[in-house]
Amino acid sequence: MTGADGLERRYRRLLRLFPAEYRREHEQEILSVLMAGAAEGRRRPGLADSADLVMSALFIRWREMTRQPRWKWERRHWRLIVRLRVAIGIWLLVVGALVLGAGYWWGVVMALPAALHFYFAYRLRHAVQS
Amino acid sequence: MQEATFLILTALAGGSQHGYGIITDVEQISDGRVRLRAGTLYTALDRLRADTLIEVDREEIVDNRLRRYYRLTPPGEKRLADEAARLRANAVVAMSRLNPAGAMR
Repeated sequence: MTGADGLERRYRRLLRLFPAEYRREHEQEILSVLMAGAAEGRRRPGLADSADLVMSALFIRWREMTRQPRWKWERRHWRLIVRLRVAIGIWLLVVGALVLGAGYWWGVVMALPAALHFYFAYRLRHAVQS
Repeated sequence: MQEATFLILTALAGGSQHGYGIITDVEQISDGRVRLRAGTLYTALDRLRADTLIEVDREEIVDNRLRRYYRLTPPGEKRLADEAARLRANAVVAMSRLNPAGAMR
């Protein structure tokens, strides 16, 4: 096996981090760009290129996850869903504060799912109203 | 508009280009300052396509590899022209305040 084959195989492995739909659309051309930019005799993806692929894959997945409401019922019952998410978020924060108050530091961890619920509620409201 | 986006649109303003062509062109336009990487480039191209500022021009297979050429759409040209005008207006003000005596050359 030549160095280029090994390099391509490793790039392909990194590209598997992207969602399937995005890969169908772009994998071949991204691979072309990566191989065109690779120095002669290179066998392993560079750290900067790898980090860029990982960050891009995370960004694309995040973008797809938070895009427009995907289901009809989500659109139809958006008011209820937004209220429910806000309520769950507040409840998580209260529980987190109680845990924190009881002297356990990991109560702060509750802030993360709470923030996600608030964020999704905001996105849904924004998507329906725009 | 982010600088990378501005430079990608500028690269395509001269005619259609494929991914690697855009990267080398952007590097040249920015005097070596901006070196786009593959993941970042396609994240940007994907978004520009969704916003209909660019579109696929054609596809070629060279050495068994896919080359997809992109080009500006009319809305893309307008967006770039507006952005360029805005940047120039800002630059003119900055230059005139730094050097009130002489006009911007």
